[in-house]
Amino acid sequence: MALQGIWSGTISFSLVAIPVQLVRAVETGRVSFRMLHSKDYSPLRRRMYCPEEETMVPPEEIIRGHEIGPDKYILITEEELESVTPERSRTIEIVEFIDMKEVDPIYFDHPYYLVPSKGGEKAYQLLVEVMRRTNKAGLAKFVLGEREYLVAVKSTDGALALITLHYSREILPDEDISPKEGTIEAEEKSRIKKSINRMMTDFDPEKYADGRRKKIMDILKKKLKEKAAVEAPEVEEAEGEGPPDLIAALQESMRKVKKKR
Amino acid sequence: MAGRAIWNGHIHFGDTNVPVKLHSAVKEERIQFHLLHRRDHVKLRQQMVCAYEKLPVPTEEQARGYEVEEGKYIIVDPEELEQTAPESSRLIEVHEFVRTEQIDPVFLDRVYYLEPDIHLKGYNALAGALKEMDVDGICTWTMRKRSYLGALQTSGKILRLSSLRYADEVISVKSLELQKIVLSEKELKIGSDLIDQLTAPFQPQKFEDEHRKKLQDLISRKARGEKIAILRPRRLKPTAPDKLLQALEASLKKVA
Repeated sequence: MALQGIWSGTISFSLVAIPVQLVRAVETGRVSFRMLHSKDYSPLRRRMYCPEEETMVPPEEIIRGHEIGPDKYILITEEELESVTPERSRTIEIVEFIDMKEVDPIYFDHPYYLVPSKGGEKAYQLLVEVMRRTNKAGLAKFVLGEREYLVAVKSTDGALALITLHYSREILPDEDISPKEGTIEAEEKSRIKKSINRMMTDFDPEKYADGRRKKIMDILKKKLKEKAAVEAPEVEEAEGEGPPDLIAALQESMRKVKKKR
Repeated sequence: MAGRAIWNGHIHFGDTNVPVKLHSAVKEERIQFHLLHRRDHVKLRQQMVCAYEKLPVPTEEQARGYEVEEGKYIIVDPEELEQTAPESSRLIEVHEFVRTEQIDPVFLDRVYYLEPDIHLKGYNALAGALKEMDVDGICTWTMRKRSYLGALQTSGKILRLSSLRYADEVISVKSLELQKIVLSEKELKIGSDLIDQLTAPFQPQKFEDEHRKKLQDLISRKARGEKIAILRPRRLKPTAPDKLLQALEASLKKVA
């Protein structure tokens, strides 16, 4: 499966520059299900829609607007957006390396992968392998769409993972909800430690997914007995309107914003 | 200040029971944009469209299907899926413990602070035990009619809960089909030395979102009708594969 790039540019550290593409590491939502049209069982696709003209809007007719009043917008083009911080819109420059052990996981936000573009394969592999050996990650800032992200680039299973980090001012202080008394209940603590020891195992994400899948499969089996599967009509595949990278990224970020409301 | 509590319940495993309240731990700040139609500046919305009819599909005509084979689906109602979630409960049930370092950040989703509820009962002891043993508890809980998989963690003083992504929501590195390339020990050695030289303590406070201020400024200038100068993004020339060793050596010389 060729993954669609969200962004393309260069990642650099010191004098080494590697051409890369940014791709998704996560498919949000329940991957095992697809949204269908209940009338004809055809799969649904997500499109941008103009409620005024009641038409689908292709990516080239979309522009960003910052709302300054009811239905009043300041329009910002792609080029203007890139001009805000041009040195970071096509380059992920690692400014320093950090020990992964020092990173409080509260900072991790959203993961992506970087994949090498043509000619960058060797330098890419080098960075992967060297960060794996040293357990280090590279810190960089880069601009994607309308935001500037602080990111950690680390080695994961032979690939470079890019994880956006929260800025420290986005992390809410916890002093007001921390326990007021510092009493160490020594006996209680050693009892808990014994329980923990009995329950120690290796982290195995597949196991948890399997558990959930099994429950879903049980329901599906029951359904299949009662009723046959439905069939979708054939659609000529040559639609060829994969949204360009930035729009896809934008739509995803808008979905995220909406979900939070 | 941490916001108000969004949920409360009990952490439970063995004979341990710790009452807690959930708070958000992160608040994102961003400048909002809408997607508009270039022609008439009408605000666009996302719409599910039928791939066959090419027409918008209203919510009541949207269904969830499980693909049993290509183009064949079993339709599943949301109510039926609800049955897969545990019944509504107030438990954060810890099933097992794992070494903190084993959880790759790619699985971490959203973080919550856990505030001790009513009294401290076991809270400090649990936080202390997790900290000293350097472990996370893998747990499940139900909130807003959804079941969550999570990692119970601690910063030392406060307990936290991070929801986890399921393995089938994470795209595997294998599917990236990366090429295997043999590197010389010399390249790897110089690369490692270089990274060591460039290593600094993790100080996230050092980094600010400068871009946000500049973007705000751009919006104000456009609002005043100023013309914006277009600056070309900087593109770096990729290091050629046969120049890699040379670039590494030159880098090391520069920082050493």
